[in-house]
Amino acid sequence: MKLSYQSRITASAVLMLVVVLLIMASLWFPRTDRTVKVMDLLFVLDITQSMDVEDVDLNGQQVSRITWAKEYTKQVLQQLPCGSHVGLAAFSESRSLVLINPVEICESYNDLSQMLAKIDGSMAWALSSEVSKAVFGAINQAKLMDPSPDVVFITDGHEAPPLHAELYPKYKKKLGDVSGIFVGVGGEKLLPIPKHDFDGTRNGFWEENDVMHEDVYASLRSDQSTRGQRPRTEHLSSQKVGHIQGLADMLNFEVVTSPTKASTVLNTLQQKVKTRDQVVSYNWAPWFASIALILLVLLYFPLRFFRD
Amino acid sequence: MSMLGIQWTSPMMLILLPLLLLPWFTHNQDKTVAWTSFVPVDSLSNVIGMGLKLLASAVIASLVITLAGPYMPEQKVERVGSGAEVVILVDRSRSMDDPFSTRGKALAVNRTVGKGDSKRRIAKKYLMEFVNKRPDDRFGFVLFSDKSLDLLPLSYNKESIRQTINASALGKGLSETNIAKAMITAAEMYSQEDYRGSRTVLLVSDGGQEFSEENKQKIAEMYKRENLTLYWVYMRSTTGLSLQEEGEGDSWKNTPEKRLHSFFKGLGVPYKVFEIESVKSFSEAIDTIDKQESQTLIVDEIIPREIKTAPFFILAMITMMLLVFAQFYTAWGVRKAYE
Repeated sequence: MKLSYQSRITASAVLMLVVVLLIMASLWFPRTDRTVKVMDLLFVLDITQSMDVEDVDLNGQQVSRITWAKEYTKQVLQQLPCGSHVGLAAFSESRSLVLINPVEICESYNDLSQMLAKIDGSMAWALSSEVSKAVFGAINQAKLMDPSPDVVFITDGHEAPPLHAELYPKYKKKLGDVSGIFVGVGGEKLLPIPKHDFDGTRNGFWEENDVMHEDVYASLRSDQSTRGQRPRTEHLSSQKVGHIQGLADMLNFEVVTSPTKASTVLNTLQQKVKTRDQVVSYNWAPWFASIALILLVLLYFPLRFFRD
Repeated sequence: MSMLGIQWTSPMMLILLPLLLLPWFTHNQDKTVAWTSFVPVDSLSNVIGMGLKLLASAVIASLVITLAGPYMPEQKVERVGSGAEVVILVDRSRSMDDPFSTRGKALAVNRTVGKGDSKRRIAKKYLMEFVNKRPDDRFGFVLFSDKSLDLLPLSYNKESIRQTINASALGKGLSETNIAKAMITAAEMYSQEDYRGSRTVLLVSDGGQEFSEENKQKIAEMYKRENLTLYWVYMRSTTGLSLQEEGEGDSWKNTPEKRLHSFFKGLGVPYKVFEIESVKSFSEAIDTIDKQESQTLIVDEIIPREIKTAPFFILAMITMMLLVFAQFYTAWGVRKAYE
């Protein structure tokens, strides 16, 4: 169909008028309310010495588990939508020490990221690493907060001293509305754990005779029959996937093992934990502006270059 | 990419900018002319033609720019306010889990972890009140056990300091505490900052500690150099003694609390101790500090990011209106010619 010269001129004039109307809409069309899902989370980072083992890959570099944990947490924080609240805690000994209760992520991002950067093994207040108890503690403290956040527990699952096969700690209270996920960190191979003195100075590696290889009960009973049957490898550390999974099953948590992208944890969280609807005002201007721009491109497109 | 401090939300959109050249290549609305040399050269028409192309380019460029989302990033502006910079040190030792004592009343000593009025919870409550009273202050927080960490560097964000104080009241206390290290950390936090006005260290604890000679020297030197004011809110234990009771042959003068008090007095920096005997005296202490610490202070005000799309939309709209007008005028003229 070929339009006459006259009608082509009129048509393009009308098209241009539409463009003007679209630009006006970009300027004055009211923003509309939209809901996004936001979460309240308490990130607990394992800062025990097994986290100093350098067996994780971060952008092609071998880094320590704690370095990875901090970097990963930071990436997740950056991707959480504004309105989400995040708190930070560090786990050493048998407890999760809450450093900051949940704060709104966008407004307090600066403080959160600075605080996150300061978390490491040098702030540990004791040398043991009782993961199970620390998880229970984190849940208990989350329940005290209002609204209670869900827990993101980043750990390699290394228990020191080791647990008895049956006499391990169990969570006996009600979970309430607290749910959460474990983020497993660390490689599969058993590797030596760098030893730091209590004042933080590096002092070789943990040796076989420095650590307990049996649970407390077994060593108290000095039960000869089971003695020596357990492998003496507690001075070495790998990611204890099985133990983390066991804890997760007990607490009805999800497990994410060595994720590479921040979105992995975000997606798991969105399905697992409670979300709140946050109303944000949505701006339609980019849509109107895009349509206006497309119309203009069509209007001025030099078709003659493509004809014959 | 920045120009005059402008930044872009989605700078990738700017690769569409070359689209502004399109009007200069297009001729598809031209009337078919048998031989273009027949058309007389009209300089006015040429100028108008150029002008219309320029306008069209301007509209396309403006729209691309709005899509790239220009904004002025948040800016810090200094203004003069009144208040102080306050670094808070809260003793996290186990004894802070004990119930808050009232002088003369023997209380059944039960550790009240997680509930009731432990000293830690009372301290939290009044620190919170203090923070809420002081809109211009900049707060920092030192977490300390046997080690100490400048957990929250000086920040204007009230929500951050509130939630850090809240967190400090959770859970049990830590077994070991080292007040000297925490005090050094607090001074170090200031030494990294420019001097802006009144600098305060607020120590809340329920006991004293003997500092080593080395630490004493270091603290004295740093506190003088950094121009710090020290407040010690001493939450006395049920069995604790008043710092002021000084008699002949005071057999208690060697208690760690008293020795810490006399060390602080001899520091050579402004120092005040508040002995907290009741909830009321805590509240009074907070009021006194609040009144004393209201000197001029340089305050950073954050001007939030400003989105700068509107001027480009307005430019695009006005230019586009001119083009529409020109086009309708042309259409009208052409119709006239055909009549």
